Amino acid sequence: MKEITAIILMSISIIVPVLAQQSEQDITTIQPRVRFAPLHIYLDSGNKSLAAYQFELKAVTGQIKIVGVEGGQHKAFKEAPYYDPAALANDRIIIAAFNTGSELPTGRTRIATIHLQIIGDAEPDYELKLVVAGDADAKEIPAEISFEKGE
Amino acid sequence: MTEKKGHFDEDLDLRISPKFSEDLNTLFKPQFSVPSEVDRAIMDQVNRRLVQRHWRHRVFRHVSIWRIAAAAAVIIFAFSLNLTQKSGPITSRSVLVEAQAVDIDRNGRVDILDAFKLARHIESAESTDKSLSLVSSTGQALQKQGWDINGDGLVDRNDVDLVALSAVRLDKNKGVL
Repeated sequence: MKEITAIILMSISIIVPVLAQQSEQDITTIQPRVRFAPLHIYLDSGNKSLAAYQFELKAVTGQIKIVGVEGGQHKAFKEAPYYDPAALANDRIIIAAFNTGSELPTGRTRIATIHLQIIGDAEPDYELKLVVAGDADAKEIPAEISFEKGE
Repeated sequence: MTEKKGHFDEDLDLRISPKFSEDLNTLFKPQFSVPSEVDRAIMDQVNRRLVQRHWRHRVFRHVSIWRIAAAAAVIIFAFSLNLTQKSGPITSRSVLVEAQAVDIDRNGRVDILDAFKLARHIESAESTDKSLSLVSSTGQALQKQGWDINGDGLVDRNDVDLVALSAVRLDKNKGVL
């Protein structure tokens, strides 16, 4: 009987702090203000047709969570692009897409929209880097990437 | 009732006669008397051994309790680490690791252009060869290049998807920015 009591007491003394810590974490994540906003990504390939792109986005300040990814404006990139599912609920994502068709966009076009959950009142700052852009021959082309915050 | 009593011999006389008892005492009486010192020494030794055994038993039980408690603590600690929230399925991870090694354009980097080039190869092969199974000549050529990434005997859109997913993997390109 004494042994069982000792084991029970020992278990309680270990479980209680662990549970307390977890519930504390839950409370702290609930407290801040949360809002949702889209972030539109644009790519300008000049007079060259855009057949493939890959870029990386991350928040450098503020607290965000990526909640969804949408395709672009042109029908060549309308489908949802490739991304790592692990990026969802994260603050960093790599997005890529290609199209082997002949109808491709030129100039400035919206290639993707990223839906974000913004936690807290601070306006987040983003860092956006174009990894690669390619033309219909799968050759790397120069292009300019930018973003616009949506409401 | 009387029948039952007779059956179990409950009236049987179990008392020993004084004569019989005296005879037994005479028969089993020690031939010599044991000195009281010897008697006491034997009793002391017996007591000492019994006490030692008792302590050994207690210590063993004490250690067992701590072992059980330690095992319980380890199990609880393991659960508190929340091991279930680890990354996705191992199978898809291992496939992605294989895809990471596929650098179609051999430029030392796996990116979307690798997937794009593979897709273009497949599309151009499809226009010449109806089936891209590895039995076909085009299929064999593509396999020789090592492009059957998922090893299903076909070089198709699934292999392209694996290369593309490998390109966008987060843990591969950490620190690109």
